[in-house]
This record gives sequence, C-alpha cells and structure tokens, in this order.
Amino acid sequence: MRVKQILYLLLREAGIGLALILMVIAFSAAAPRFASMANVTNILTQISINTVISVGMTFVILLGGIDLSVGSVLALATIVGGMIITNENLSPGTAILLSVLGSALTGCLCGVFNGVVCERWKIHSFIVTLGMLNIARGAALQISNSRTISEFPDAFNDVGAATIFGVPVIFLIALAVVLAGRFILARTVFGRMIYAIGNNEEAVRLSGHDPSVYKVVAFIVCGGMVGVAAIIYMMRLNIASPILGVGFELNAIAAVVIGGTSMSGGKGSMIGTLLGASIMGVLNNGLLLLGMGDFARQMVTGLIIVVAVIIDKYRAQAFLRSSYELAPAPPREEPHLRDTGPGPRV
Amino acid sequence: MVDLGNAAPPDIIEFQGTTKRFPGVLALDRVDLAIHRGEVHVLAGQNGAGKSTLVKLLCGLYIADEGAILLEGKPYAPRSTVAAIRAGIRIVYQEFNLLPYLTVAENIFFERLPRRAGLVDFARLFRDAEAMLAQVGLEISPRARVETLGVAQMQLLEIAKALSTQSKVLILDEPTATLTPPEIQRLFGIIARLKARGVTVLYISHRLQELFEVGERITVLRNGRKVETLAARDASIPRLVRLMVGKELGEEYPFHPESGIGAEILRVEELQPRGKPHAVSFALHRGELLGAAGLVGSGRTELVRALFGADAKESGRIYRDGSEVSIRRPRDAVRHGICLLTEDRKAQGLILAMSCSANVTITDLRRVSHAGLLQDSAERSATRELVDDLDIKTPSVDQLVANLSGGNQQKVVVAKWLFRRSEVLIFDEPTRGIDVGARFEIYQLLWRLAAAGKGILIVSSDLPELMGICHRILVFSNGKITGDLPRSGFSQERILSAAYQEYVHGRPQADSTAGTGHA
Amino acid sequence: MNTKCRASCAALPILALLAVGGGGSSARAEEKKPVVGLVMKSLANEFFKSMEEGARKFAAEDGTFTLVPVGMNSETDIDTQISAMENFITQKVDLICVAPADSVGLVAPVKKAIKAGITVVNFDVKLDDKALAKAGLKDLVFVGPDNREGAYLAGNELAKKLGKGGKVFIIEGNPGADNAKMRKAGFEKAAKEGGLKVLVSRTAHWETEEANTLVTNLLTSHPDVQGIMAANDSMALGVVKALDAAGKSGKVQVVGFDNIPAIQKLVKDGKVLATIDQFGPEMAANCIKTGFRMKKGEHLKGWLKTPVKLITATDLM
Repeated sequence: MRVKQILYLLLREAGIGLALILMVIAFSAAAPRFASMANVTNILTQISINTVISVGMTFVILLGGIDLSVGSVLALATIVGGMIITNENLSPGTAILLSVLGSALTGCLCGVFNGVVCERWKIHSFIVTLGMLNIARGAALQISNSRTISEFPDAFNDVGAATIFGVPVIFLIALAVVLAGRFILARTVFGRMIYAIGNNEEAVRLSGHDPSVYKVVAFIVCGGMVGVAAIIYMMRLNIASPILGVGFELNAIAAVVIGGTSMSGGKGSMIGTLLGASIMGVLNNGLLLLGMGDFARQMVTGLIIVVAVIIDKYRAQAFLRSSYELAPAPPREEPHLRDTGPGPRV
Repeated sequence: MVDLGNAAPPDIIEFQGTTKRFPGVLALDRVDLAIHRGEVHVLAGQNGAGKSTLVKLLCGLYIADEGAILLEGKPYAPRSTVAAIRAGIRIVYQEFNLLPYLTVAENIFFERLPRRAGLVDFARLFRDAEAMLAQVGLEISPRARVETLGVAQMQLLEIAKALSTQSKVLILDEPTATLTPPEIQRLFGIIARLKARGVTVLYISHRLQELFEVGERITVLRNGRKVETLAARDASIPRLVRLMVGKELGEEYPFHPESGIGAEILRVEELQPRGKPHAVSFALHRGELLGAAGLVGSGRTELVRALFGADAKESGRIYRDGSEVSIRRPRDAVRHGICLLTEDRKAQGLILAMSCSANVTITDLRRVSHAGLLQDSAERSATRELVDDLDIKTPSVDQLVANLSGGNQQKVVVAKWLFRRSEVLIFDEPTRGIDVGARFEIYQLLWRLAAAGKGILIVSSDLPELMGICHRILVFSNGKITGDLPRSGFSQERILSAAYQEYVHGRPQADSTAGTGHA
Repeated sequence: MNTKCRASCAALPILALLAVGGGGSSARAEEKKPVVGLVMKSLANEFFKSMEEGARKFAAEDGTFTLVPVGMNSETDIDTQISAMENFITQKVDLICVAPADSVGLVAPVKKAIKAGITVVNFDVKLDDKALAKAGLKDLVFVGPDNREGAYLAGNELAKKLGKGGKVFIIEGNPGADNAKMRKAGFEKAAKEGGLKVLVSRTAHWETEEANTLVTNLLTSHPDVQGIMAANDSMALGVVKALDAAGKSGKVQVVGFDNIPAIQKLVKDGKVLATIDQFGPEMAANCIKTGFRMKKGEHLKGWLKTPVKLITATDLM
C-alpha cells in the first residue's frame, strides 16, 4: 500500500515537476550562466517570499476561497515589524524577537478579520479580502505616515543574506513552511477537514461538523504565513514599506494554481505550490538572462501561466485513467463507472 | 403510421455489435439491439449492466469503441449532446440539468428563447411555458425560480423541457424515482400521447412493475451484454429478475418477526419546521423500523431535516431516551446519537472525491487521531472492519467513493454513521437509484441495525418497500401526520387515503385550514 | 413596476450624495477665504506625501486660504484625478494646482477648469506640450523640477566616478510614467556624454523587491557591471541589497533619485554615490504661491523651474 501511495504521489506531483525540469534544462542550454550555483542561490532567494505566501494561499484556495489581501497585509506586517525592530528603547535581541512576533500576529489578526467576516455573514471571501486589501494598505500608510522604514539590526540582516552550502537561509525557512504545510494537510485532522470541506461543505456539515471553524482557522493560517513572509522580506531587503507587495496576491494565486490546486477547492498539494512558485521564479530569472525585454517577458510569463494550467488539466485526466489501471479490477457485477461520464451537470 | 413499403426502415435505432470499454471495465460487450419506430422500449438491468452507457452513446457523451449504431438506417455517431439533439434524440437525465437561478420558463426554452426585436419575448415565453407545464401536469408558475422547486417538480420540469423540442426519440432515465403514484400515472399518460405522435421512447427504471405498464418490449442487460429482448406481455417480475441477476431472489422484502421492540429511543413533540404551517409529534423505539409515507412534498423531508438540525425549526421538543435535548445544528444531533442519511447521497452524504476511509471516519475523527494527528493504521482498520461487516464491495478502503456503485455508496453512508455509534438512524429515500439486488442487501442491513437495538426512521416514496420492511408506518399529508398504522393495519388503500386526506378539499400544495390534527 | 421601484431606490442615495455635496460647498462659501484645490499623485509614495505635508504646512502658516488636497490610490489612478478636477470645477474653487498622473489625460479637465474661470497651475510633472497646444493652452504655467536635468546630474556624477567606458545598468520606473521617461532620458544623456556603456535598461516598476530581484538576476548575466542608475530611491534600496548579497557593495556604484530618508545613510556609507533632491515639500507650496501671484494680475507663462540638487556624501555630513 505504501508503494502505491508513493507511486500515486509521484504521478500527481511529477507533471508540474517535469515542466519545471524541462524549463530548467531549456534555460541551462540557452541562457549563459543560468546553471551556475550563484544563480541557483539567487532564484531560491527570490522565490522564498512568494512560496511562503502561496502556502497560506493554498489553505484558503483548497477551501474554495481566495485571499486577495496578502500583498497589503504583507506591507502592514512589515511596517509593524519594522517599527518594533527600529525602536531604540529595545535591545537588538528583544527587538528582533518582538518584531517577528508582531509581524506574525499582525498577519494572523488580519486573517481573523477575513475569516470571521466571511463566515459570520456568509460573504464570499473575494469581497471580504478585497476589503481587507484596502484596509491593510490604508493602515500601513497611516501608521507609517507613508515612510519607508530601514536600518535594521545587523544580526537580522545577516540572516537574510546567509547561505548554507549555497542554499539561502530564507529559502530554508520557506521550505520548512512548505513541509509543515504538507504535514498539516496530509496528516492532521485539520488537513483532512480542509480537503473534505473543499470538496463538499454540506456533507461535512451534515456529518456533524462546523465548517466555519476550519475556514476561519485557514484564513488565520494564511495571515500568519503572510506575517512570516513579511519577516523574510525585511531580512532580505532591510526595509519595511507601506507600498510594497502590490500585486503579490496574483503571484501567489498563480503559483498555487500552476501547482495544480483547483480554484473550486478540494484538490491540490503543498509540493505542487512549491513547484508552482519555483516555475514562476525560474521563468522570471531565465527570461531575463536570455536578454528578453520587459514587455515580452511579461507576455511570456502570462502565457506560461495559462499553458501550465492547461497541461495540468490534461495530466489530471491522464492520471485518472491510469488510476483505474492501477486499482485492482472491481468485482465483476459492479462495474464502477456508472456516473463518471462527462455528462453536463448543473 | 409507418409504411413498411416506404424507404424508411422499421427500426429507428439499431445497435450492431456495439462495444464500449473503460479502463478495466467492459461496459458494453457486442450488443445487438433494434428499437422499433414508435415503440416504448424498456431497458432493464442492474446498476452497471450497461443501460446508462448505451444511452450515453446515443446522446453523444461517449463514442463506441467497436460496432455501429444506425439511426434510421444511417450510421450514427454523435460527437456532442448538441449533435444528438439535432439528430432528434433527447434525454431526460436522472440527475438534473436545470439552471437553479433562472425561471421555470427560461429553463424549458433555454436553448431557443422566443425573441422579439432581439430581446427575449417574455410574454410569449411564459405563455408557451404554461402550456408545456400543463402537458406534464405541473402546477407551478412559469415565473418561479427553479431553486425553489422540490425534487419531483424538477423531474417533471425536465420532462417538460425535453418535450419542448420535437424529438424522434425520447430517453427517460429513471423518470419516476422521485414521483408519487398519481404523478407516475400522469407521466404514463404523457408517454402514451407521445407514442401516438410517433415518438419512440426508451425507458429506464428500477421499478419493475412500471416496466410492464409502460413498455411494449423489454431488453434486459447484464454485465454489458444483452441477455434477451422480450415482449412485455410475455414477461413477469420473477422472470425479469431472473434475467437481470442471473439467479432468483428469495424474496423482495425481508420482514423479520417483531421481536425486539424496546424502550422509546426518540420522541418528537410539536416539531414545526421553519416556514411550514404544521407541527407533528411521534415516537420511535429501539429495534423499531418506522416508515414515513406520503406524497412528495408532504413535508417528510423537511421534518427530518429540522429534527436533525440541518434546517431551522419554528418550535418543538425532542427527547432522546426520555430526556429533552436541544438540537440546533447537525452537530448537536450527532452528539446525541441521531443521524440523517439524506436522499441526495452524492451532494450531501458523501465526499465523492475522497476515499472510503475518509468518508467513514469523518463523523468521528477523534477516534482515529491522537492530538490532532491522524493515525493511519487505526483509520484503515476501523474502516476495513465496517467494510467487511456491511459487505461493501470495494477493492480497498483507499478507493474513491465516486468509483463505487450506488448501493455500495449507500452502505458507505451507513458505515460512517455506525462508526459514530449512532443510535437513531433516519433514512431519507434509502434505496433511491439503487438496483434490485443491492436493495435487498440494504433491507437486510436495516433489519440488522434494528435487531441491534437501534431506532430507525425511513422516509420513502416506495410504498411497497415501506410495507415490506416496516413495523409501523406514519402517513404524512400536507405537513401533518394523518395516519399511524401498525403492521397489522397495512394496506395500500388505507395509506393512500390518509396520504391524500389533507389535499381532498383543495388543490395539492395549498395550505389546509383544518386544525392541527395529527395522529 | 418592479424595475421602476428599483430605479428609484437606486436614485435615493445619489440624491443624498448631491445634497451633501451641495451643503459642503455652500458651507465653504461662507468662510469667504479663497479655496485652493490641490490634485496630488499617490500619497502612498513618500515623496508626494512630504509634498502634501509641505503644502498643508504652508496653508496653516499663511492662513489666508483654504486648502483641499486630493490624493490618489495608486500611481496610475487617473480616474481619481479627473473626478477630483470635476468636483473642484463644480464647487467653483479659486485655484487648482495639479500634478498630473498622465500628461495627456489631464489636459481636457484642465481646459474645462480654465473655461470655468478657475486659475490652474500645473506642477511636478509637465502636461504634454502637444496636447496643450492642441487645446490652446500652450502657455499654461508649469511649476516643477526638470526630471531629465536631475537624472542627468546623477548620471554625470556616476560618469565622472567611472570614467569613459564604464559599464552601467539603468533601472527604470513604471513604463509609461512621464517622470520615468524623463529620468531615463537624463540618464541616457549623461551616459552618452560621459562615454558610459549601457548594458541593459529594464523596469522594476519603482519597487524595492522587484529592483532587488532584477539586479540580482542581471548581475548573473552581466557580472562586469560597474555602475547602476536607479530612477528612484526605493529601487536604489533594492539595488544596494542585491549588491550586498553579491559581495559587490561599494565596488559597483549606485545613483538614485528623490533623496528619501532611508537612502541617506547609504549615501553617507558610500554604498550609494549620489541621489537627487527635488525639494518636494516646497514644490506644492511654490505652485500655490505662483497661482496667487497670477490671480493678483502678474503675467506668468511656461515652465518655472524649481531647483534640483545633486546630493552626495559631502552634502550629508
């Protein structure tokens, strides 16, 4: 059974991973210095923030929701973290610790707002988080008086620049977040409920659960991830700014969807999300190294997003077929295909 | 009508060695079948026998792997449902294809809304729709939104929609699953009129009695093969069943002697679902199978949903084992050992894209987890135990529920509530869409549960079913209980007269002004 | 019938808005002080924020007029500016100072305001000359810095440092933004005169993180770069971090633009060679002063240049 599960996982994840490998091979051949260790380090650094945000976004999208506020909340969290860390009354160690807590807490609180409003008044998360997008941005501008905050303690910046055998520490943080997310989805009651609610919320309710609780928690987790991303941002760039992160929500959604997570919920994985974020990072880096212009690069990136999702669709179908072949033959008198036809449904 | 001397062949549709494969399954195996022009042809067989596949080939949803299909003598292989409709073949699905937020009229004429000056001609749309609704005897406003309709009304609406185009062949897939006897009779009237107009009808149903009433010829399929085509007048239920299952069923309904009826397990007092005019009271005992009979729309589903906390209620008290409990959400009901197995298993009972074990254990994940972490082995062994116990036919506990047959899906729903150790099981239409052989197993299962001391309430529109398995039947009429019959008092006439009682002085669905009288 | 009811329901809040708007303007008329409408760009940008604060400070000190500033949601939100212009026209303010987000798009509302008898002064970004000529507003007064000149000064400083043949990147602002175009042109002019070789010119949309990613990647393909010209300081911050990470901090020279507080320490430390100060806080105040001079009958026309100053480590000592 273990072997079958691993096989299943490989099949499910390999498609998008294959696309990534092909992309890497193509760029290695075509773009000078793409395949250098230094460049790999750069790419890993560059995808870290989007990866962490996308992990949070994956939870929300698996529930059939969306969080448009991540970019603004990121800005707000950096401002809160930045103001604490530059407070001269605190020793550097305390400042860093409180700053990390402050950023994470800010993200979580925004998540509480998103989740509770969605669930208490049954409003679609698209609208609620659109509201949060403005609230958080406004709050960030208000409390910072639209100033960029900089000059963080050296210890803090050093972590942002550190690498271990060429792997940036901030990427290791992102990777840890991905693996934690994967563990939660695959092995915990919470993860099980996320998939179940994403697939059929009414069935979950009628099974004696309160889906709202899980949905609120998912938004809080998403907000918390944004808080973590804010810390990584500050480590990497040594600034906190109320205007950063514009459009980050779209990058996160793109990474999640390229990674094979269904926008209608219930289907998807964290490893897919990591691969999705990697594809976007590799694409951005590789096209630039090829010397492609700004506008062409933007167009190609857009096209690749769409193509990746189309490929994923075909791969999912191919997998569905192969899964029948993998499974032991069903009992003769019960051919199990009664309702799997592509008949139109409401 | 059809002149055989003419060029038109007598068979409107002919399958010639038609074969359809799915990975691992041979869904149709060299089927030869001729359907005469203008006849009502019945397809019979268990779930998975190949009926649906055959129909989907005709509707352009599948393409045959081998063999040919002829439509009026010419090769026919539609690539889309639109092509099939253009060719004059129209289907009424078992699952509804209605647009819930549009009006009834718009749904009927969706493919070709009447236009005037580029805009939808609503006056004509509603007028035409009214005529179509009258044809199927559906007394609803063409302006009503589909989401507000009941299941039976939607079924009739589907039929009206199919009738709105001139088709040569009309396929009805389980059209009566949700209909009450008078509605079924009206449907048969419609079929007779269509036949008179020269329309060929292909009819699929699990209700064997109907097949004789409506059909002229019956084709039995089994395991993807055609077993036999016989004239309806030559057939009998035992013969059909024998052909379908390849063996004789001992008896259709197993009734075990009344042995272990025990103490009261559930009592409902003056329970009034929100938005309904009447309150009802009844009691259920350990070891008892209690039936709820009535016309579709008589308020049974609303009552059990309110009882379970799935929908809100106006008022009422619920007692479990004699003490009052407060149920406001399904969660409360589940905590008090009450569960509801809904009519619509796929939409409300199961998570189709998840495994059997995930579906079974979802009712009580605490039992298979430790500190929030799922215990894989505990989950599997618990599921496997129930799968074996209920004889659920699945290759493994990891199989997706979507890949199981209807009967086995229903057993998974039962398993999930047994996993929760529920004491009161409320079934809403437990055998809807389940084939003959599997039904028998479900009945056996109900009996086993009762014998184990559980209290079981069964809402069903299949009267013979209720009479065959229940100790006692409550009859619902327009939101009230108008009959409470012990097994010794069961008779179709008595139940039906009670079911119609509240509708006698007015049109169906109309509010009765009579008192609160309940049995 | 149903539709009519809905229509009238929808009309109610609009009527209410009109009533409130009317009340607001009449209340203002009672004060009898002249009203100045200030149409700003995004106040999220700290350069404009400081400019707006400068204008407010000036208004408070002066005390002879009422200032109504309007900001935008983002750099490219032209609609908000046009609506603000229309509202000012309706309220018959006395003077409008406008920093256009789009040098062509704002010409029409400016013309409408002038037709309505309102004095209009253009500041910060110059309205498009061709569009102005077409609208018959060739001589509209513009109070603002020369972005091209500023970029030229910064570029020149870099060229002096690197000498002929120095290899540089240009990190552009938003493609399409007028000041981005001007600054790019200024950098290019300085590069040409100073004999610098521009390896690549790419946009980072004014953003720190994007500039960081961009320069990190460009360093891979062009490790021989010696200087980087960033069209604003936010991007320069990201550039410096990219150089830090690549171990090239101080070896590759960086110039920025705007002189925001966060850049000043980097200039002092030598990580940034120079930036440009446009004296934002004074700019809007200058514009308002110019407007009142015109209202008093002074005849002004064309571009009244405000100072731009090269800021290097010596200026910050």
